[in-house]
Amino acid sequence: MAKVFVIDVAHCNGCHNCQVACKDEHCDQPWLPIAEAQPLTGQYWCKVNQKERGQVPWVRVSYEPTMCNHCADAPCMKTAPEAVYRREDGLVIVDPAKAKGLKGLVDSCPIGAIYYNEALDIPQKCTGCAHLLDNGWEVPRCVDACPTDALLYVEESEVDLSEAVVLDGVAGLGGKVYYLNYPKRFIAGTVVDIAADEVVIGTTVELKSASGDLVATLTSDDLGDFKFDQVEKACYVVEVGGKSFEADVTQRDLSLGDVDVSAA
Amino acid sequence: MVASSNPISDKTVIKNLGFCGFGMSSNTSAVDVKDGRIVRIRPLHYDDNYTREELKMWSLEKDGQVFDPKMKSLIPPLSLAYKMRTYSPNRVPYPLIRVDWDPNGERNPQNRGESKYRRISWDEATKIIADEIKRIHETYGPYSVYCQGEGHGESKTYNGTHGNQIALLNLVGECTVQSRQPDSWEGWVWGAKHVWGMEPLGQNKYQNGVFRDITENGDAVLFWGADPETTPWGWGGQLPSRMCYWFNDIGVKSIFICPDVNYASAVHADKWIPVLPNTDAALQLAIAHVWFSEGLYEKEYLESHAIGYDWFESYVKGFIDGIEKTPKWAEAKCGVKSYHIKALARYWAKHNVSIAHCNGGGMVRSPFSHEPARLEVCLLGMQAVGKPGCHQFKFIEWQLFGFDSCSPVPRSETYTLLMAAYHGVHGDGLGSSFLVKTKLPEAILTKEKVEWMSHGPCAFPAEDQFIPFEFPMNGGKGIHMIWSDAPCWSTCWNGGFKMEDALRDDSIEFVLVQHPWMENDTVFADIILPSATGLELSDIANDNMSGQVTLLYLEDQAVELQGEAISDYEVVCEVAKALEKHGGIYENLYNRYVGDLSKEEVIRKGFETSGVPADFTYDDLKEKKFWASKVRDGWESEPAGLYNFYMEPEKYPLETPSGKLEYYSTRLAEHFPDDKIRGPYPQWIEEGDGHQERIGSKRAEDYPYLLVSNHPRWRVHAQHDDIPWLREIETCKVVGPDGYAYEPLWINPLDAKKHGIEDGDIVSIYNERGSVLGGARITERVMPGALYQDHGAHIDAIKAGTGGLDRGGANNLICPSPTSSKNAPGEVTNGFLVGVEKADVFELARQYPEQFNREYSSEVGLIADAYIEKGV
Repeated sequence: MAKVFVIDVAHCNGCHNCQVACKDEHCDQPWLPIAEAQPLTGQYWCKVNQKERGQVPWVRVSYEPTMCNHCADAPCMKTAPEAVYRREDGLVIVDPAKAKGLKGLVDSCPIGAIYYNEALDIPQKCTGCAHLLDNGWEVPRCVDACPTDALLYVEESEVDLSEAVVLDGVAGLGGKVYYLNYPKRFIAGTVVDIAADEVVIGTTVELKSASGDLVATLTSDDLGDFKFDQVEKACYVVEVGGKSFEADVTQRDLSLGDVDVSAA
Repeated sequence: MVASSNPISDKTVIKNLGFCGFGMSSNTSAVDVKDGRIVRIRPLHYDDNYTREELKMWSLEKDGQVFDPKMKSLIPPLSLAYKMRTYSPNRVPYPLIRVDWDPNGERNPQNRGESKYRRISWDEATKIIADEIKRIHETYGPYSVYCQGEGHGESKTYNGTHGNQIALLNLVGECTVQSRQPDSWEGWVWGAKHVWGMEPLGQNKYQNGVFRDITENGDAVLFWGADPETTPWGWGGQLPSRMCYWFNDIGVKSIFICPDVNYASAVHADKWIPVLPNTDAALQLAIAHVWFSEGLYEKEYLESHAIGYDWFESYVKGFIDGIEKTPKWAEAKCGVKSYHIKALARYWAKHNVSIAHCNGGGMVRSPFSHEPARLEVCLLGMQAVGKPGCHQFKFIEWQLFGFDSCSPVPRSETYTLLMAAYHGVHGDGLGSSFLVKTKLPEAILTKEKVEWMSHGPCAFPAEDQFIPFEFPMNGGKGIHMIWSDAPCWSTCWNGGFKMEDALRDDSIEFVLVQHPWMENDTVFADIILPSATGLELSDIANDNMSGQVTLLYLEDQAVELQGEAISDYEVVCEVAKALEKHGGIYENLYNRYVGDLSKEEVIRKGFETSGVPADFTYDDLKEKKFWASKVRDGWESEPAGLYNFYMEPEKYPLETPSGKLEYYSTRLAEHFPDDKIRGPYPQWIEEGDGHQERIGSKRAEDYPYLLVSNHPRWRVHAQHDDIPWLREIETCKVVGPDGYAYEPLWINPLDAKKHGIEDGDIVSIYNERGSVLGGARITERVMPGALYQDHGAHIDAIKAGTGGLDRGGANNLICPSPTSSKNAPGEVTNGFLVGVEKADVFELARQYPEQFNREYSSEVGLIADAYIEKGV
């Protein structure tokens, strides 16, 4: 009987409505006793991180809304048990009255979700808009403002989380924030025969591991394109038309561009 | 209890937070107020008043998936954050007069844009304004008052915004009206219309059912310069985002053809085909070449549905000019490899492909924009446009002008109009004297007759393009006063630095601006009057353009008026009151202007003539706060797009002289026999009519890059640039080493390397018209050879006028001044040449200490105090 945030990265359009709605709710507006006012700028209780991926002409941007994980085993609560409490609905709240001066809370959070308000001398973070939930709202501002359902606040039992992941920093701590379709890596390109001045359609493209194991097979489409999506971060070899191309996606997604399989 | 001790609001009002104007609203929002302050702006939930069943809300299904348009408004961040616009420190706080402008002495026009202002009272200001209008009337006649009263502002109804002053001056001998040419649709109007009619905009106006039809029959959508994740934000909201995800989810291939990875391409593209800015015509001609040479087109369709395509085929094959428009020919011009062009052409011919727009992108606002626009229609025709799955549609302005035929998503039972309550300009608004907006700087600066074709505005039919006009008109004596409620010419039109020259010209004796903010052309005024934002006013609004259901609502006042602001309508009323003290033609002017009805009565009349069914009364509206229309029956089965024309062209003809697609326009041939740039059939134009903006041109030796200047992601044109929560978003601004937030300039790593530019460097983009600064973002989101910078940044003039320098990054300042082509008076605001180099902001600050020390907030940018004398 607890609600969780479910963030579908594949359906986040990057509009930042969640980030902006959070600011609209909290900047310069205290909601005591749950939250003091957030400064006008500089804090992001909900923050949309963007990742630019790939190279011309295979470029995508992934957006990941991030917020306090409201951990079941919350490091901030351990750091300051007298100032941080958990509500019945599981939301973890930094009590603005009791947390005064507790700068250490900022570093206690493994995902950087706690900020320090120098003017008020308090640590601050996402409250899950508890003041709204207590007044009849079913979801926090960020969720209400999301136009694509990429951000949901739903009963954990009502959603399939078998494929969901949590942010690395809070792995094993339990909590309330799950990601679906969290981006891995892609390798994409177009098979071309430059000597013939044509793309190559319907040819087999194989993705192999560095040790030569077959990982995936695709057929180049009607535009000559292939795209291995959601592959693990690793070094691969792409084999097509009897040629091999190295594809190191440990650090970044990769456009192989126009992959020339001309006989010459 | 928390709930009782912390009420989360004491009242909620409904507001339109759209930015399209003209008595049409959008982005319906719920605004919560507490203790006299706006505490939150949020989506309106339709289910506060209605069930899904009551609204007969539409949905689509495919392969077990369901498209749900949602029971809440899908507002953009521009609306969510809008209270910051109302509370902006850049608001005009009270009436202001330029310190070195003396109506009885030296007027110092050359200092406009640089001088500061001092506070005056409303009475002083309106007396000076009335005296000036009277003096101008007596000295030069009424046509010497030039009114800018259209577009690019908040959407209001009773409170007007757009063109209230024109209605006032029409009571005292008229004025000269700025005739806004079809800025959103240039290429379609000046080009595509001559191929397929589609009055008045030249875009497909038969879009009904298209979203459903593509769901059922479409294979792919070409997003040709379209950014549904940006452009619709100001006008309709974010349903387009859901539509694009739907295409992704059901496997309709999304192919983006544009120089940049725009915000929709970034999340929706299955394929990106980078094409150099404004070279679409070359790509299109090469596609046609593939189709003609490989027989991959619907020949029978062309025989029955088109005329003159033999001319087009001859041109494509090089029989007319000796140049075959092969994919290799195109590759050198547009930057797309010939094998990619061939693959795209063959794919398109084999599949059911539609083209999507958000009005046309840069392609329809570049030099010679009529050519790519009509080439697109020629290509659509070659693949039998109207066939299931083959359409042109757009993600914006659904049912614009009340057209019942142009909504790709199901329409509501009722389309509402509030014209009876609207105080802005009605219809085309043109009287006995007008001047097309693109020719304004030339008209002021040359002091000679300027000539152009057509009345200008978008609402006129194709034949209007054959009527010549000249200014001055009807014995007028030129422009000597400007009265503007849309002070954004320089940031939104063609050749802003030249416009600044015009605003500083000796002949302009008085510039009056009414506006909520100290931004852009406002600081070139002699008197500035503070007008209020919609959140400070009560009004009535309608929202026809969300694509969900039509809404109509009373807008209660959310908060008190800020500073000394009053509504734009009331600003004009105050001038009327001052003018009538002069008697004569001004006698009783205020009463003549406002008429006999009270505000409540005018709003009620607006409601009663709005089209809302009679069983929902005005009292119901007051009680229930908003009304929503039901979705119209029968949408599941209506013919999609141009299906009727596809099936029966004789019975369902187009609005061309022949009723068919005219690949050869007899009208253009007849009226402009000597026009080599916009001839009877579409062509690739290298240069001419004042434009030398190709990478192969001589100018490109000095200015080698083509600039993409899209509709901005975090603004609507020049609006919203002072909102802190948007400015701190990663893609909104780049903070320089001097702490100033510069407008981002995207540059590909290959190009950045050539100039030694690193991410975060402050750079200048320039041509002979001047320079604007930007913050470099080294990114793969723009192709080599193109640079990208959104248009509409808040002007921060270091040096105004031609050859000037702008710190804000308002790149319209360096756009070309010549129009689309000689006989097409459209704006050219995209796809033009610039150079780029690193800028040294500290050296510039030493050179221009006063300008670099303007009152500035890192959170909002320039603030009003930058231009107001301290202690005055």
